Amino acid sequence: MESTHKTYFDSMPCFVSVQDRDLRIVDANKRFHDEFGDVDGRFCYQVYKQRPEQCEDCPVVRTFRDGNPHRSEQLVRTLDGREVSVIVYTTPIRDDNGDITRVMEMSTDITEIKQLQHQLRDSQERYRMLFEEVPCFISIQDRDLRIVEANRLHREAFGTYYGCQCYKVYKHREKECSPCVVRSTFEDQAVHHHEEVVTKRDGDRMNVMVTTAPVRDADGNVNSVIEMSTDITQIRQLQSKLSSVGMIISTISHDLKGLLNGMDGGIYLVNTGLKKDDQERTAQGWEMVLRNVDRIRSTVLDILYYAKDRDPDWEETRTRAIVDEVFDLMQSKAVDHNIEFTREYVTADGHFEADARALRSMLVNLVDNSFDACRLDRKKESHNVSITATGKPDAVEFRIADNGIGMTRDVREKAFTLFFSSKGSGGTGLGLFIANKIAQSHGGSITLESEPDVGTTFVVMIPRKRLAVTTDPAGEDGAPEAGLNL
Amino acid sequence: MSNKKKILIVDDEQDQRSWMATFFEDNGFETITAVDGQEGFVMAQEHHPDLITLDISMDNESGIRMFRNLQESPETASIPVAMVTGVSPDFKRYIESHKRVRPPAAYFEKPVDRDRLLKTVRELTAQNVA
Repeated sequence: MESTHKTYFDSMPCFVSVQDRDLRIVDANKRFHDEFGDVDGRFCYQVYKQRPEQCEDCPVVRTFRDGNPHRSEQLVRTLDGREVSVIVYTTPIRDDNGDITRVMEMSTDITEIKQLQHQLRDSQERYRMLFEEVPCFISIQDRDLRIVEANRLHREAFGTYYGCQCYKVYKHREKECSPCVVRSTFEDQAVHHHEEVVTKRDGDRMNVMVTTAPVRDADGNVNSVIEMSTDITQIRQLQSKLSSVGMIISTISHDLKGLLNGMDGGIYLVNTGLKKDDQERTAQGWEMVLRNVDRIRSTVLDILYYAKDRDPDWEETRTRAIVDEVFDLMQSKAVDHNIEFTREYVTADGHFEADARALRSMLVNLVDNSFDACRLDRKKESHNVSITATGKPDAVEFRIADNGIGMTRDVREKAFTLFFSSKGSGGTGLGLFIANKIAQSHGGSITLESEPDVGTTFVVMIPRKRLAVTTDPAGEDGAPEAGLNL
Repeated sequence: MSNKKKILIVDDEQDQRSWMATFFEDNGFETITAVDGQEGFVMAQEHHPDLITLDISMDNESGIRMFRNLQESPETASIPVAMVTGVSPDFKRYIESHKRVRPPAAYFEKPVDRDRLLKTVRELTAQNVA
């Protein structure tokens, strides 16, 4: 029997040793001998720990002390210097009196497992770093479109909103988007791409290219989708500028054709008026020519403003004069479209520094926008648009208010972006963008308040004094460098 | 009752309506005008003009809609329509290929060639005489 036990002892695929109370090794199996050499009678801590003294938390000592088996993880060194990670189990061996005379120590090599553990940890760390640091916005959504995880860039841009629906966080919508690429991926478990406009927590808008992919669990089920978005705002801006030339040319040519037609008509009236000696007709024709030439001029200026940044042509401008000019320009169009168009001055007349022509063009643009909003609205019996000028100590405020169709939040947020037009083929998409540029070039701003089906108010603030210049303010040698970033 | 042929001018620009009316009147036509497709269709039904000049670059496609309405209504379907537009020839191809509407009797791009306009209008209104 004893030789059978010895055979079992030697066959065990782990290191087995038996220590006495002094921690000397009194017996060991073959595997132990193979790895640690001739060990009998030597202290265990010398043999496989190469220590001069007992280990601090020695499981063998603990077992001697409390009579219980113990488990621990240790690092041992073999005879050839190799480090081996082991899990150690100690078992008390009692004599006939029940006293513990020996402790058996059984150690299983877990080096490979440990290595795999390290590799897994490294791998996880690497992926976490990738996830966190990659320069695009990544989020993971569950089937309810709630954000369950987001990387650093995403959190910085949109805030930390785990548990909130994605469309609320960066689309500012109450309902799911349509189409929703995340939803599409849940449905067909395929990768989808889509371009979107999202809003950061500081209010800035961004064009992004979104890619969604399914995330499978160990069973292959898709319970979450990863959404990766790359900021392409700058690319789009550049692209828009480049590719818009064709669009501008066709839009401008369409407008110009109409204006040339009007001018041509005016010339006809002047010629026939002169021929018939009909002064009234001649005068009417001449007015038509002048009017259309003026409109051609505005259209061309629009192109210039878009195509090439212009410094404002500063001059002392009377607040009321600007309003009156805009009013006169747009009055007949208001009458044509049955819109009540009014002007108001809240304070006494004043002056401010501005590029009068640019400002007029900007206000005309906003009034035109209001007219269009009224025309699109089918719910109200009558429509009105008003332009109000208010003088403040340091600035002049122009308000253009209408009771037209109004704008929803996502329309509002996109209103001043390039080529935004909610008028279908009617709008060029340049108007509000340019209007905003003009206000900014004066150091001012345009904000808008709007409610769907109620109406819209544009509020333009223009400082009375031009922006502080960074070079010689005398302006003797041409337009001063105002440090503007148009 | 006037022997003059009547032309309905539909355009949202006052200048266009103004000079075209004067031009046609100078050349022996009677004219009526409308500011958009909606008004234009009502006037076409009321006055049965001999010809309609229709600007299709007006906002909200009101010109296109009016053109379709004219064709779908038996009392106006036979009135010749001269389309006036500022858009490219592509649009002309679109109109002609659109199954639901017959192409217009004539098509002019702005700025309109007045001589050609007059010649075409004279032909179309003379053809319409019973």
